[in-house]
Amino acid sequence: MQPVVTARGLTHDYGPVVALRDVEVEIPPGVTGLVGANGAGKTTFFRILLGLIHPTAGEVTVLGADVGREAGRVRGMVGYMPEGECLPDDQTAADFVAYAAELAGIPPGEAKRRSSETLFLVGLEEERFRYLGDFSTGMRQRVKLAQAIVHDPALVLLDEPASGLDPDGRDQMLDLIGRLGSFGISVIVSSHVLTDIERTCDWVVMLDAGALVRSGPLEAGGDLRTVTVEVLDNADTVADALRRRGFDVTLVGHRFVVTGDDGATEAAIVEEVARADAGLLRMVRGASSLEEEFLARAERR
Amino acid sequence: MTDDVIYDRGYRRYDGPRLGVSGARRAVIRDGIRRVLGLRRKARRKILPWSLLAIAAASAVVFVGLHFASSQIGIEDTSLLPRYGELFDFFSWVGILFIALAAPTLLIPDRTQGVLAVYFSRPLTVGAYLQGKLAAFLGVTSLIYLLPQLALHIGLAFLSDDGFLPYLGSNLDVLWKVPLVTAGYLALHGSLVTAVSAVVGRTGVAAAIFLGILTAGGSIASRIGLLDVPFARWVTLLALDQHPRIVRDRVFDITTADYPAVQAGFGMWTSVAVIAVVAVVGTWWVYRRYRKLA
Repeated sequence: MQPVVTARGLTHDYGPVVALRDVEVEIPPGVTGLVGANGAGKTTFFRILLGLIHPTAGEVTVLGADVGREAGRVRGMVGYMPEGECLPDDQTAADFVAYAAELAGIPPGEAKRRSSETLFLVGLEEERFRYLGDFSTGMRQRVKLAQAIVHDPALVLLDEPASGLDPDGRDQMLDLIGRLGSFGISVIVSSHVLTDIERTCDWVVMLDAGALVRSGPLEAGGDLRTVTVEVLDNADTVADALRRRGFDVTLVGHRFVVTGDDGATEAAIVEEVARADAGLLRMVRGASSLEEEFLARAERR
Repeated sequence: MTDDVIYDRGYRRYDGPRLGVSGARRAVIRDGIRRVLGLRRKARRKILPWSLLAIAAASAVVFVGLHFASSQIGIEDTSLLPRYGELFDFFSWVGILFIALAAPTLLIPDRTQGVLAVYFSRPLTVGAYLQGKLAAFLGVTSLIYLLPQLALHIGLAFLSDDGFLPYLGSNLDVLWKVPLVTAGYLALHGSLVTAVSAVVGRTGVAAAIFLGILTAGGSIASRIGLLDVPFARWVTLLALDQHPRIVRDRVFDITTADYPAVQAGFGMWTSVAVIAVVAVVGTWWVYRRYRKLA
């Protein structure tokens, strides 16, 4: 299956600040999570995929097209939901989404029809003739999603789509994103909320400080040679004790990752936690969540 | 109790034509015209543009009324009555206010509300976006200059002793003179206010700065330009508002004011050059600014 995105040696800097550093990645069709802390290079990566900025070095193809040479064609096949505010207050949702479709080359009559259908899909059929300035944050996020898919793109880039939403709104947005995959639209969704990625994605690309940390299927993320531990207190004391016993330990706040293949590792951890009166909250073999894996990998780098 | 059924219409794929950059450009034009005129917007967005259009149209009615009244009281020599050239002056403040409203309305909200991020993620290029905005600007602002002239033309044709069609036939020069003068007004004022709108974040502030530049330029030119000091005559060119009017006076062969530049010895072609320079520099400035924003 042809990857939706292929990057080779992708590097981009803003003067002295390196936003992306020699990124080599292939992203398959489906729903992909682009994860990383703020400033990891996610938005820069999106802007390069859209041909809005040119990489300092390297090359990138989107849906088989070279972004550097065919940016216009790529943008016709891709939808983009920016993270920040991007809606005009004085237009109705229906008018704005139809306009977004026309900007992607859809004829005006068809753009109106697709605007109605897409707003229905995102749950705004009743509100579509209201002015965007009167919309709540959750409704605005849905309109942003609608404008990104109204022109039937083959790939959608969603930049922090659940940002600013309450728990219910977040759930609904993640459900919508999950459904896009079932419509045959590939999705790359960026987030620093890793549980959102775990819930919606089947592939994950991790960036940290502009470098690729990992690209692979989500379910294969766990490293069974490690034990992730979370304690209530005295994590550093426990970590030091385990290091003295010869274990490789990475400490991140109240959590630490201990490398050790056999059951003796767990036994040693329990022993040292009890000795330091640290209060064991959780102990899991393999990275139990994307967040822990991300923290562990970033710490190792 | 009824059994309700929820239908999920799902998502419809699209395999119809895609119009590319040209389709996107046309969409920008349509949206721009609607935005300036307040169409498909809240009612209060319509008040200012439509009021200005109505005032401009009313000025033509006043002129036609003058001609009608003079014919009723038996004035033979109608050459003294104001016609096309003077009409530009009569509603010039309306035209300038409309331009001061149109350009900021076209450019600023897209930028301040972050909508450019959506637009430029489409096949739309910066050049096509600005071309669309320019076409929308010219479309709506030429309305305010051409509609009153058209109303005057038709009104004078109806009042003409020679008859409607003979009047139109003998005044064909109006068909190029009015658009030419309109182009001068739009090129100078339009590029100036557009350049301001490209950097200012509020429509009202942009309009005020534009009007301030016109007022300050006129004031400086009349105070300093005619002093007996080196290079003072060149300062008269800073009265930017005079240049399309100087062109207008030459085209219609009328004299409506003592312009500082004319007093300093400059002719029409200097004014044409100033208009061209302002238009080119303004266009370059706006394009450069939006290249960075995209």
